[in-house]
Amino acid sequence: MGQLFLEFFSNTGFALADYRHFIMILIGIIFIYLGIAKHYEPLLLVPIGFGILVGNIPVFKGLGLGIYEDSSVLHYLYMGVTSGVYPPLIFLGIGALTDFSTMLARPMLMLLGAAAQMGIFLTFLGALALGFAPNEAAAIGIIGGADGPTAIFLTAKLAPHLIGPIAVAAYSYMALVPVIQPPIMKLLTSRKERLIRMEEPREVSKREKIIFPIMGFLLCCFVAPAALPLLGMLFFGNLLKECVVAERLAQAARTSVIDTVTILLGLTVGASTQADVFLTPQSVGIFILGATAFGVATASGVIFAKIMNLFLKTKINPLLGAAGVSAVPDSARVVQMVGQAEDPNNFLLMHAMAPNISGVIGSAIGAGILWSFVG
Amino acid sequence: MYGLENISAHNGWAISLVGMTIVFTGLTLLSLTIAQLHKILDLWENKDKYINNRNHKTLTSTPADVAPKPGMPAENLETIRQYKMIVDRLEQPFSLPKLLDIAVKIGLERPHSTINTLLVKKIIVSDGKGYFIWKLQF
Repeated sequence: MGQLFLEFFSNTGFALADYRHFIMILIGIIFIYLGIAKHYEPLLLVPIGFGILVGNIPVFKGLGLGIYEDSSVLHYLYMGVTSGVYPPLIFLGIGALTDFSTMLARPMLMLLGAAAQMGIFLTFLGALALGFAPNEAAAIGIIGGADGPTAIFLTAKLAPHLIGPIAVAAYSYMALVPVIQPPIMKLLTSRKERLIRMEEPREVSKREKIIFPIMGFLLCCFVAPAALPLLGMLFFGNLLKECVVAERLAQAARTSVIDTVTILLGLTVGASTQADVFLTPQSVGIFILGATAFGVATASGVIFAKIMNLFLKTKINPLLGAAGVSAVPDSARVVQMVGQAEDPNNFLLMHAMAPNISGVIGSAIGAGILWSFVG
Repeated sequence: MYGLENISAHNGWAISLVGMTIVFTGLTLLSLTIAQLHKILDLWENKDKYINNRNHKTLTSTPADVAPKPGMPAENLETIRQYKMIVDRLEQPFSLPKLLDIAVKIGLERPHSTINTLLVKKIIVSDGKGYFIWKLQF
């Protein structure tokens, strides 16, 4: 009987665990805490945090329980990540949720979304300099786009072995937008600049909103065909929303589809961070580069807005440049928050959505370019 | 390999430069296209009006003092006539809010913008006492 008990004990998590599992479990609990208590991207951090707990329960190899074992249920769910199925479905939902009006009203602000993508390419260079292979460097660089689904999509295509750390880094930094961006924004702008008020945007007709997803899709995908899976779904989702006659489909895309995929994506990405795979010096490098990428992207957007102001008669608030990173709508909210800290009657949120959405398009184009260059 | 050597060996500089250029080009093209979209749609929706206007202009001789001025809408002649008719019903000098009020009531298009243009083009000028005078004669 004692022997039986010992055998059972040797198969429990207590016997199989080492310190790395506990570190990862702690990280998972921190994610859940940040999501629930601090409201930092709870829809992402809670599933990912719980996924980290799921992935770091030490299990007996060969039982078909771990996410990296071929016959496990988690492995089948994880195939949506590794095959790149989930990110386009999330883009479908984002498209069906997003109102492009402000971008259509002030298309000039789209350039801020392009400028913020410098983070992608500078981090790509940084990763190369640190000795990463080009495919890995490209996957790491895309963290600078601040777009979780795009980061996962490109990593699945270029460096599947890095999905765990890259996805966790991308989503962590997306969740930490309210912490990372404000100091950079304040450092690069004067109080006078932060007080600039934006002109009211013009009214956008329904016809424009319907034509835009078709035109935008054709134009972007002709320029960067590799961005087709992401941008195709983004613009398709938006067309469903704007055409009105397919409201049922739009409703499904922006609720049940995106919610289901977010749960599966968050949980499996979290579960993919098994301690033995995740806690490596490479992951630490990815996290450092990710933070740098995010900072560079924010700074690029703000600086570009200031450069634009040198040529514009009606100045734009340079804080809007920070919304060029594609964390929708968090970075736009941060712009609003920082702007209102200086002037409570300055409403920048609506204006910040323009670079924010163009950032999503820009990072998808950036991913397509990197895929076609190093894929 | 590390550092600049690794970047050069994998063509990193060129990839980054070309990549940035493509992202900028793509979004600039999209931005320029969007900027023109509403104008094209406006032209398409009002094509009959534009065609009629053009025919009208070729058939009637336009007095030099009411000739279209740069920055005015294409249908400016008709618009100026409409506003002149309202002003004729008011006493000179007239109040601008009253002109605006009547323009809104009779359903003229974009009354704020049009009155602003009339002011900018000095067709309506201030009398310096808070009232305005119609300067242009037909």
